[in-house]
Amino acid sequence: MADRADLLQGTLDLLILKTLVLGPLHGWAISKRLRQLSDDVLEVGQGSLYPALYRLEDRGWIRAEWGTSPEAGGRRAKFYSLTADGRRQFAAERSQWRLFSSAVERVLKAT
Amino acid sequence: MRLAIRRMMRRVRALLHGAALDRELDEEVRLHVALEAQELERLHRLAPDDARRRALVAFGGIERYKEAHRDARGVRWVDELRQDIRYAARALGRSPTFAISAVAILALGIGACTAVFAVVDAVVISHLPYPRDDRLIRVYERNSPTNQWPLSVADFEAIRAWQQSFSDVGLLRTVDAPVAAGGEPQRMAVGYATSGFFRALGIAPAVGRGLGAADDPPGAPPVAVVSHRFAAEQLGGDRAAVGRTVDVDDVAYTVVGVLDPRFTSLAGRRGDVWPDARLAPPKRRGPFGMVVIGRLKDGVSVADAARDLARVSRREFPVWQASFQDHDAVLVPISLRRVMLGDAPRTLVLFGAAVVLVMLIAVANVAGLMLVRAAGRWREVSLRAVLGATRGRIARLLVTESVLVSLAGAAAGIALGVVGVRVLVAVGPKVPRLGEAHVHARAMLFAIVVALGAGLVIGAYPVVHLARRGAGPGVLGGERSVGGTRRTHAVRAAFVVAEFALALPLLAVAALLLNSFVRLQRVNPGFDAGHVLTMSVSLPAGRYASDTAIATYWTRALDGVRGVPDVVAAGVADQLPLSGGNLDENNFDLLDRPVPAGTAQPVTPWTVVTADYFAALGVRLLDGRMFAASDTGGQHPVLLVSRSWAHRYFPDGTAIGRKLVSGGCTSCPPVTIIGITSDVTYTNLGDPPEGAYEPLTEGWGRSLHLVVRTRGDPGAAIPGVSAALRSVEPSVTLSDAMPMADRLSASIADPRHAAALVAGFALAAALLAAIGIFGTLSYTVSMRRREIGVRLALGARRGEVTGMIVRRGMTHAAVGAALGLVAAAGAARWLASKLFQVSPADPLTFGGVIVGLLLVALAASWAPARRAAAIDPVEAIRDA
Repeated sequence: MADRADLLQGTLDLLILKTLVLGPLHGWAISKRLRQLSDDVLEVGQGSLYPALYRLEDRGWIRAEWGTSPEAGGRRAKFYSLTADGRRQFAAERSQWRLFSSAVERVLKAT
Repeated sequence: MRLAIRRMMRRVRALLHGAALDRELDEEVRLHVALEAQELERLHRLAPDDARRRALVAFGGIERYKEAHRDARGVRWVDELRQDIRYAARALGRSPTFAISAVAILALGIGACTAVFAVVDAVVISHLPYPRDDRLIRVYERNSPTNQWPLSVADFEAIRAWQQSFSDVGLLRTVDAPVAAGGEPQRMAVGYATSGFFRALGIAPAVGRGLGAADDPPGAPPVAVVSHRFAAEQLGGDRAAVGRTVDVDDVAYTVVGVLDPRFTSLAGRRGDVWPDARLAPPKRRGPFGMVVIGRLKDGVSVADAARDLARVSRREFPVWQASFQDHDAVLVPISLRRVMLGDAPRTLVLFGAAVVLVMLIAVANVAGLMLVRAAGRWREVSLRAVLGATRGRIARLLVTESVLVSLAGAAAGIALGVVGVRVLVAVGPKVPRLGEAHVHARAMLFAIVVALGAGLVIGAYPVVHLARRGAGPGVLGGERSVGGTRRTHAVRAAFVVAEFALALPLLAVAALLLNSFVRLQRVNPGFDAGHVLTMSVSLPAGRYASDTAIATYWTRALDGVRGVPDVVAAGVADQLPLSGGNLDENNFDLLDRPVPAGTAQPVTPWTVVTADYFAALGVRLLDGRMFAASDTGGQHPVLLVSRSWAHRYFPDGTAIGRKLVSGGCTSCPPVTIIGITSDVTYTNLGDPPEGAYEPLTEGWGRSLHLVVRTRGDPGAAIPGVSAALRSVEPSVTLSDAMPMADRLSASIADPRHAAALVAGFALAAALLAAIGIFGTLSYTVSMRRREIGVRLALGARRGEVTGMIVRRGMTHAAVGAALGLVAAAGAARWLASKLFQVSPADPLTFGGVIVGLLLVALAASWAPARRAAAIDPVEAIRDA
């Protein structure tokens, strides 16, 4: 597991929001998208994915709707999509993250 | 805002549909695992079963994850609370003895608290039933901080003409008068009121109209408002009453309105009929005795009104200077609420403090029981801790249990409280508005809050203990760890000490009140109550308008009464002994030693009597002479005074022959003292038995009191005496016929009830303290069984073991009593004004209470001590 990174506290929300920017996804698809986008480096602790989804829904950043999933052979699946608030939140968290990571990077580069 | 509401809705849904959400979650998870397995199968070419297993592993423990998810829903605590309650209820069900005793003890405490709260709420906290009752004022006349009296018509007219503080001001004069609505006249409470009285109170009749300004002048047609009860009983209901005629004291009033059923009294005065007062212009400053009520204008404070009324007083004084010289007398405004409450707050504080003490003792008791129980359960709790329950969770479990117990106590306590309020209303002291008390929503809420508080306190110690020690695996080994630690012993001892410390002041106060009551009862009222009958007699106004007519009636009536078998003597008076606050007093000025001009003259109970009155009541003439037929007032009025009066004003024994001016009447001839009688208490038992008697020769009132001395049971003479009175005048109104002994007993009903109630609370407290010490020692004995066995095996005598346990109990009780003594001393000092001839620090009372309480402790310690001594050493050591 050395090639996989644990998620930094608080970044999961940002990543979930990011995966949903392109359109609604169900739970498993979100975790798969995260794995793909990070070239298998980021593994979402699955047990934390659904609580996080619930939390985001609770805050009004995403909304959930039941639909059918083609890759699951037409089974019922819960699709999550971004709300307007969620989009604003994503933008805010993204700029914050960039600020934070560049600062960390600068510190580490210093000799 | 919208977000907040939506989130709340989600929480509610999560709470109500937890199972449905769990199902949805399950579905989501199953889909996730299935897709993951599919993916693994495809990527790694695994067998479906293997793929599924690995998918599950990758997902992590499904149950754990579900828990986390429920946490995220934010309703986990509700689920757990439900579990805790179910668990606590089961646990309590397994030890019914504990549950029943704890609930019973708490129910007792909460019930008493609830009943007293309901009474306090009705009497003190609730508003008077008038709009904006805080603006209502009653006006008194006052010449020193301790002496005030009601007003006269002259005062009322002065206020009405010159005041600037009140939007409305009205007068009320209450009397008992014969009232007839077509049938036989009956004596009833009548309140003559001006229209301003109703306007000031701000109430209008439920049916018909109230008294208006047009009804006030003396010439207006007589009209009256009646109570709902009077309308229902005498006039055939509210609607039928309006327009009917009611005869009050032989004046026919037309009923114009009926009051709402809740108004059985107005401004604290009971009344069935409220006729218009139609005041005649006053001829002098007195007589006093009128209730004057005003409603403050907006923005006017009581202090403003006081200044305004002082100004009115200065302006009024010169007008009536001929008949009233007390320059210090000033009109003062007093809030009607305060007037109506009177001494009630002090009485209620007494009861309130008593129940709070009982409640605290009950809580300490149950807390002690809980501790024993916690000790027995420590293993189970430790096991839970080892199995992963968090400390907070275990703490909550314990608190839930005690709160459950106390809520059950509250439910039973509210039921007890409902009964308790009835008891208080029935036997409680005469406190205004007590009849309105009942256990309503507020009292129930109070009971529940008290119960929750008690539950937290009761459950607190085991929890604190847990927090300090932790409940780790180490606890598992020590079976007796809680019951056996020194600290727990100390806490249990502290509970017992506290119970005794709380019980002592209660017992001391009860003993002081009882002691005081016994002394009050022993006071000689100055008459022989055993063979005296009294009765109120009212003659109809029509035929008895003149003195001569009334005097003729009484001459014939008294002759008739004396002819009744068993009657020894009969006399007439305008008032009776033990009249309390309703007594007629008169001011006087001694000619030898007049008070300085402009200062208050002394007052004394002033009773107008026929000469036979003294023989009938059993009052002796000690010196001088009795009234004679020649004492007809006129230019040579005479007076008898009581021994105490004579002793106070003429300690050298020279009262006879002295002259005085009565009633502030400077133009009247002075009155000569002709004799001294034995003492009679006219106000309340315990007050100085001073008094003066004037012969009843002129100015006969139509309502007088007949006093009859009988040979046998005075009650048995009532029919004969009544018949004799009616044979002279059939339409005479008779009321309040009762033996003097009943009047005597009624006059000390209040202190009797107060003492009885507090004694009841004190007994409950002592009983609870005894139970507390019994429980603690029993537990100690069972915990120290082995040690006691060893002692006995090593040769300790059984008497020593008994002594050891008893000593332990007595030490707790003695320490508690010593602490309680301090509180008791404070409480007794506060009580001083309620005590009669008993010092608040009465050593006998305090000594007796302490000895009594220690005896209770001894009795309660005895059984556990005997059990300890009876332990079989062999068995005790082998069992352990």
